[in-house]
Order: sequence, then structure tokens, then C-alpha cells
Amino acid sequence: MDMATRPFYFMREAIENMRKNFAMSSAAISTTALSLFLVGIFLLMFFVWSSFAVETLSKLEVEVFLKDSAAPKQVQNFQNKILSWNEVKTIKYVSKEEALDIFKEKLKDNPGILQAMTGNPLPSSIRIFLKDPHQTKTVVNKINNYTGLNELVEDPKVDIKYGADYIEKLFSVIKMIGWMGLSAAALLCFASIILVSNTIRLNIFARRKEVAIMRLVGASKWFVRWPFLFEGMFQGLIGSLVAIGLVYFVKVWALRKVVETIPFLNLSINEALFLRLILGMVLGGVLIGATGSVIALRRFLKV
Amino acid sequence: MIKIKNVTMIYNGGKPALEDINLQVDRGDFLFLVGPSGSGKSTLIKLLIRELVPTKGEIYIAGRDLVHMRLRKVHLLRRDIGCVFQDFKLLPNKTIYENVAFALEVIGKSERAIKIQVPEALKLVGLGGKFDRYPGELSGGEQQRVSLARAFVNRPPLLLADEPTGNLDPSISMEIMSLLDRINKTGTTVLMATHDREMVNNLRKRVIALEHGKLVRDQARGVYGYGD
Repeated sequence: MDMATRPFYFMREAIENMRKNFAMSSAAISTTALSLFLVGIFLLMFFVWSSFAVETLSKLEVEVFLKDSAAPKQVQNFQNKILSWNEVKTIKYVSKEEALDIFKEKLKDNPGILQAMTGNPLPSSIRIFLKDPHQTKTVVNKINNYTGLNELVEDPKVDIKYGADYIEKLFSVIKMIGWMGLSAAALLCFASIILVSNTIRLNIFARRKEVAIMRLVGASKWFVRWPFLFEGMFQGLIGSLVAIGLVYFVKVWALRKVVETIPFLNLSINEALFLRLILGMVLGGVLIGATGSVIALRRFLKV
Repeated sequence: MIKIKNVTMIYNGGKPALEDINLQVDRGDFLFLVGPSGSGKSTLIKLLIRELVPTKGEIYIAGRDLVHMRLRKVHLLRRDIGCVFQDFKLLPNKTIYENVAFALEVIGKSERAIKIQVPEALKLVGLGGKFDRYPGELSGGEQQRVSLARAFVNRPPLLLADEPTGNLDPSISMEIMSLLDRINKTGTTVLMATHDREMVNNLRKRVIALEHGKLVRDQARGVYGYGD
């Protein structure tokens, strides 16, 4: 009898064994769940961080504020020039009126300030969005070297706005946290694999006599192996489902708490990425369970 | 059935546990294997189920060459050998029904055949009403009967028993013994290692004796023959 002819026999054996070795299998399940939970939470935090970083970077832009006296023709030429640069993704011209609208929108809770305002003191501007935020410096230099700049801008030092110093620092911090996160995640994964496979090894060690008896009455190696393999897979599966439940709880609840406390931090998790995390956890759990069982069993099958 | 030629077994460079053993057992024989503790009885049985491979010599069972057998073929040999041990070797997490059924599941018997053969075997050893009990809930004698039922449920041509009555009261030992005798009468070759002087002396079967790893006696209708 083998796997092809009676797969359900082996699955039933596996479930039966889990039931009868309840303490052992709950140990394996909870170890798997806890390990995967830690890995999952860590990756989740990493996702939040990287989506935050990406969003912050994508918001980086260069804004050039124009004199009210700048001639429309010259402004148009300037825009065309900027658009011709490789580094530039798109630009957006913000007229005085639009600037005022945005300002009003931002201050709608403080109508007093708006009433105190007469006329429109806000300048028009050109917002420049870059393909790669790392090129901010290059673009700013190019603007500074633009020949007709004096007629468009009052004072280049004040009226060309960009993240300046903090951009460089932000880049290095983002990079560093990324590497730290990745190596910590790798370490955590490694520790989890060791932890789970040790639990399985204890489990199988406790049942080594059973394995020997099965071999004694003529069970082939695979006949002994299949139920243990399924047992490992089921334990991994249940463990990963528990872990996913916990991770999901943390995602929904804790994230909301954070957003409530620090509302300006626009934290979000890409749903597709989260789905991949879930699938990865299930796959990881099942895989660790299965391979852990087969490897732990090897020693005791040599009879 | 069993042919052993010039077999020597040495564990990791120590003294030989068995030395130059020659033995021929015919189909349907019943023989006792006697000898003091440490004389090599258990080693011989382990060689026969290929738990061990001899250092030197040849072993054949029903035409199978045990010395050159690949590890992944060993389970096929064991399906032809029923085994009974002093410590019963039952699966603690299975009921006695499941324990006996396991020996049939392993060889791929259909569920229908299992449902007929297992109760038959258990009734034969006198455990008709205890199918759902676990080994831990049974007495030693009952456990040994379960292990006997498992050993012959698939009608193997050879049955090996390593001190099957070693842990049991004399009256229960006699029951086990008569079961073995009955199994032998159906044509199964039985080899039984034992310390039980009275049993050997009463039954007058073939007796082979081991001492310090050497085969010192092979006697048809023999006696136990030790003073201990």
C-alpha cells in the first residue's frame, strides 16, 4: 500500500496520532505559531516602514515660486525647459488662485485668518516631480543655472524649495533601516526553523520505539514516513493559521491605534503584499513541519 | 527455511557475540534456542530479522540472501517473519484491534480482509471481547497474546519468538506455548529462544544451545540441559 492508492489512510493516521499525542502536537503547533507570528509581525512592520519610506520619497518635490511680475511667455519657456530634462517626471503649474484655494482648504477650520487676509498674497509656482528623488540636487542645480532665472524668481535661495539637507539623511536612514530589517528578519526565520525542527525532533524521539515496531512488522520506510509527514504538515498549517490570525489582529487593531495617536503619519499596508505575507506564512509553516519531520525521522528509520 | 553458514557476529571490535554458527532449519520445524544470558540468542534473532548484518558468513531465509539485502527491501523480508518479544512491542497508541490490523495494513491488505482476519486472530488467542482496549490496560499475558495474534495474522512462513514467556507466570506461559504449538501445526516454522527449563523438557522438541557465542548442541527431541 502506498501513497497513490490510499492517501487518506495516511492522513487519518496523522490526525489520529496528533489526537493521541495531544501534548506533543500542541507543543509543536504553538512553537510554530509563535515563531511565525514573530516573523510575520516583523515583516509587517517592515512593510509598513518601507511603504512609508516609498510614500515619503515620492512626495519629495522641487517647488519654484514665481514673481508676480514674471511674464507668462517666460514662465512658459521655463516650464518647457524643465520638462525637457531627463530627471523630471512631470510638472504642475499652480496659479495664484489655485494656491489661494489650497491655502483656504488647509485653513478651513480657522476662518479668522482668512477674513484678516486682503487680496491674494500668495505667489504662483511650478511644482516639479522627479523620476528619482535621489536626483533632487541635480535638478536644483540646473534650475539655478537657468539663464533667465532672475526675471522669474525673486531670490533663488528662498524661492526654490526642496528638502535640502534632510533628503540626504533620509536616504541613508531609509537604507540602513532596510538592511537592518532584512538581516533581522533572516535571523528570526533561521531561529524559527531551528526552534520548530527541535520540537518536532523531540516529538519523534519520544516515538522512536513506535517507529522501530512499525519497521519490525514489515512497514516500508515510506509507510512509516507518510503519517509523520502529514502530521508535520498539519501542525505547520494549524500553527501558521493561528499566527496569521494573530498577525491580522495586530494589523487591524494596533495599526489603527497608531494612526489614531499620530494622525499625520500616513501608515498603510498594501493589501496584495499582506496577502503574500499570509501565503508565505502558510507555505513556510507547512514546509518547516514537513521537512522537520522527515529529517528528524531519518535516524530512526535506519532499522 | 533458515540456512545459516559460518556466521560470525562481532560488535564494534569486541569479542564475538556469535562465532562460526552453522544451522539448518526445515519448513515446519519447531525448535528451542537455549543458553545462558549473553550467549548470543538475541543476537541470532536480530540477525534473522536483519536488524543486524553478520560480520562474516551467510544467512538465507526462504531463499532470501540477508547479507546482501538492500535496506529498502528489508520490510519485505519482515512480512514473511512473525515476531514475538519478551517486551511485546505493541504500539501504545493503538487499540489491540488496531495493533493487529496494522500488520495487515502494512502489507496492503484490503479493509474488508482486515475486518475478517483480525477478529479471527484475536479470537484464536482468546481475546475476542477486548478489541477496543489499549495495550496498557491489559495484563502481560494478554499483551503477549495480542503480539502473537499480530505475528501470525498474515500467516507468515516463519515465526520468531525471543523469550516470549520471560515475563509471564508459568500457567500463562503454558497457554502461550500451546498457542505457538498450534501455529506450528498449521505449517509455520517456529524458532523460540527461551529460559524456561520446564517447558523445553516437557515438550521434547528440537533444541539448539548457545554458549559464549558458539553453537554447542543441536539435538532432536532435546532437553534444556543446564543446571541453573
